[in-house]
Amino acid sequence: MRRVAIVGVGQTKYQSRRDDCSYDELVFEAVNRAFEGVDLTIKDVQAMVFSLAPDSLSGLSNAERCCVGAIGAQDKPFMRVNTGGSTGISAVQVGFYHVASGAFDVVLVAGADRVGESGDAQTILNKMWDPYYERPLPLNAINMLALSAVRYMHKYGMTEEHMALVTVKDRRNAAKNPYAHIRKPATVEEVMASRVISWPIKLFDACPQSSGGCAIILCSEEWVRKVTARPAWIQGVGHHSETYFMGDRMGPKRINDHADAEAKGQAIRKAYRMAGIEDPRREIQVAELYAPFSNTEYHAIDAAGFFPKGESLKLMEKGFFNLDGEIPINPSGGVLCSNPIAVTAMVRVGEAALQVMGSAGERQVPGARKALATGNGGDHQFFGAVIVGSEKN
Amino acid sequence: MNSELRTMQAHWDLHYEHSIGPTASRFFNEIEANKKIMGKKCPSCDRVLLPPRSFCDRCYVETTDWVEIGGQGVIEAFTLVYQAFKGLPDPPYALAYVLLDGADTAMAGFIRGLDLSDHRQALSKINIGRRVKVAFAEERKGSVLDFWFELL
Amino acid sequence: MPRKVAITAVAQTPYSAAHQELSLEELIFQTVNAVLAKAGVGIAAVDSIVISSSDQVDGRAISIMVTSGPVGAYGKDLLNAPSSGEHALALAYLRVASGMFDTSLVVGWNKCSEPDDMSNVQNLTADYIYHRDLGFNDTLALALQAGTYMTRYDVPEEAAAWVVAKNRKNGARNPLAHLRQPVRLEEVKEAPYVAWPLRRSFLPPDSDGVCALLIASEDKVPQLAPQGAAWIRGLGWATDTHWLGDRALDSMNSLALAARNAYRSAGLRRPFEELDVIEIHEPSAYHELMTYEALGLCDPGQARRLVEKEETALGGKLPVNPSGGALSANPYFATGLVRAAEAALQVMGQAGDHQVPGAGLSLASAVCGFAGQGGSVFILSNRPE
Repeated sequence: MRRVAIVGVGQTKYQSRRDDCSYDELVFEAVNRAFEGVDLTIKDVQAMVFSLAPDSLSGLSNAERCCVGAIGAQDKPFMRVNTGGSTGISAVQVGFYHVASGAFDVVLVAGADRVGESGDAQTILNKMWDPYYERPLPLNAINMLALSAVRYMHKYGMTEEHMALVTVKDRRNAAKNPYAHIRKPATVEEVMASRVISWPIKLFDACPQSSGGCAIILCSEEWVRKVTARPAWIQGVGHHSETYFMGDRMGPKRINDHADAEAKGQAIRKAYRMAGIEDPRREIQVAELYAPFSNTEYHAIDAAGFFPKGESLKLMEKGFFNLDGEIPINPSGGVLCSNPIAVTAMVRVGEAALQVMGSAGERQVPGARKALATGNGGDHQFFGAVIVGSEKN
Repeated sequence: MNSELRTMQAHWDLHYEHSIGPTASRFFNEIEANKKIMGKKCPSCDRVLLPPRSFCDRCYVETTDWVEIGGQGVIEAFTLVYQAFKGLPDPPYALAYVLLDGADTAMAGFIRGLDLSDHRQALSKINIGRRVKVAFAEERKGSVLDFWFELL
Repeated sequence: MPRKVAITAVAQTPYSAAHQELSLEELIFQTVNAVLAKAGVGIAAVDSIVISSSDQVDGRAISIMVTSGPVGAYGKDLLNAPSSGEHALALAYLRVASGMFDTSLVVGWNKCSEPDDMSNVQNLTADYIYHRDLGFNDTLALALQAGTYMTRYDVPEEAAAWVVAKNRKNGARNPLAHLRQPVRLEEVKEAPYVAWPLRRSFLPPDSDGVCALLIASEDKVPQLAPQGAAWIRGLGWATDTHWLGDRALDSMNSLALAARNAYRSAGLRRPFEELDVIEIHEPSAYHELMTYEALGLCDPGQARRLVEKEETALGGKLPVNPSGGALSANPYFATGLVRAAEAALQVMGQAGDHQVPGAGLSLASAVCGFAGQGGSVFILSNRPE
């Protein structure tokens, strides 16, 4: 299969609202940033992929249609991807297939979200459940993962303090990321004292509602040399679906537990297999794992297969996953500090790419050669994984 | 030149009439008329699925037998909600997934009757593994809100 | 060179005004089971899945969540291209052509009966800054385009009316069509205007339905389609800007580009002569005429000549829409995918009562967005090359 590399990454600063621009202008901003320092123009791009999760969050149905100009897709092949929260990483994979198939050499993947403008994201996210069995109950993206947290506590002994450690780490990292939404450091005490949203998830355990855009340029191996000296090669991709019913992930006849992120692990293992990674603990130097709530970083780390499940708790206490630790997790601050839903999972890939390109500024992990990025969608149901590396493999 | 920035208000007003099919229809008919909770069995993996569905997504075959589910069960997961969300009920409330006796998958519902004014107090009374019973509303409409769970 | 990919099996629900007997999930489950049965395999044989629908028509914020079970995606790689059903086919093609997967299900659907107002749903795709308050929906945009076209080229209403009569006559022979009664030309011409120049009769119905295809790489085709497959010999898709005022509305620009790309990849130089049958997505009768021109079957403005000579009737030189087209069945986002399904049935010799005898090379076209903002074209053949 043809080799594909990421040659450009563009992001806008994530914040609650962007009152200074329209939706498509936000996309335009991210796209322009992706071309900085890359020997390509929009005219070289042969196909575009738009990353957009629930339309209702930005209030514009099929918003991709209004963004044709912003993404430079006039007269070009153009399609949109939506897998819920994992949309951004699915979109990168779709771009990957555009190139790996031999159909195109240069593809642009981009999108934006304005979650902060929806009034209340959870009202909308409640509508993702089926209309008859579960939507009448106030299920939303926060309590669905609070339910996971409670099971993880029961299964592995996670405490609210463990959760707070994740927030402390991610906020500290975000302070070094000029794009992050929440950059204010937090202490364990502050997290513990923050108000309860859906126990055990408290305000400081939760991601913000962010607006912002992201764009990634992909090239075939023939083009990469002409375009940049520091590509991030896509060495592995994987995607996997869990059952939609959260209740099926409970009880003695379950296969996967709602406490864990097994299906994420399966997506990651597909990517490892493709990348020829047999010992992730030693071969991956950094990971951007999709974790919108502090508790979810634990089952995400477990899914990466570095250690047996549940051991991430002890290791977090020891600082193993800190920016200066052995395997930094979410050096960007992660989803916990910025969540522009339509592109959040693309940002994970972008940040992983910046790491192996050596372009991650103050949040750079020294010597990063292979990085793992993941995305989650639906009710902890759809999972994408991408491995990027500084070598072609 | 007046370049003062503006915003625009927008509102989505969408109404649907969803056909829910024979399986979900029977589930709600039994709740409304008979205060009975019914699950449906997959002939391949033998799981009794609750809420019932026409097919098992794991085995990808149609479910066959209807099974009457017991009035008690065990909490598999729960959360205590203290944040108001637009269009969703006023907090505080407790949501749980319960594995009812006779079912192999857990079903969601409110836990009522628990004092939630202090979440730490509430947490001393509720845990994974706690047994609960199903309670039904006097007036039922054929909805998952026609029943809830109470701690035993 | 990308691997060769073929459509090996097709299944569709009977399209209707409302499938109230089953939930959306059950309808999808039934259709996917049908396509697997046609291919003689179980869900385990499916490596990957791509779906497409409109969340706003489905009434679910992320429709793929509840529908992932019915399409058989449990434990599998599932992607969703909800810009339009035909994009799901294009994406699935890329995935199999890349060598990453050997098979892919492609499933599209919409139940137009469930939202109380399809026009309201469509209005939400109009940007709130300039167009939503004007009440834009699909029909208004199509009307602006059709009016521009027929005025510029002086196309008589008779030509559009003839298309309706033709497609409805064809639809009557398609047991799966939603509208299965032919209509008289007089009836068509007397229907009231919904938005000039579009009479109600010139517009498709709103239908409920699901369409599923199973595609496979050349290695798997002999096993899955021993009687013959529909090889994807070429494809192309393109988009125009959403600003209607920026576009030349008297032609279908993005569809013409898509056709050019598809013809190039299929090595087709004289489509009118080389193609045996075409399935066109006609969001209005005028749009079928405009599509003849976009596909290069005739010069701009000359579609009426093809109509005068009845070239695209079922017995004509190049039958168009033997299935009855969108005018006979229109499950909204899935309509474009249905065109590919019907074009595949033709070259597989499985189109039953509406089979064009000896069809070996077919074309499917699809459009999406206001006034055909996006266009896609697939070239299918009963031979791999």
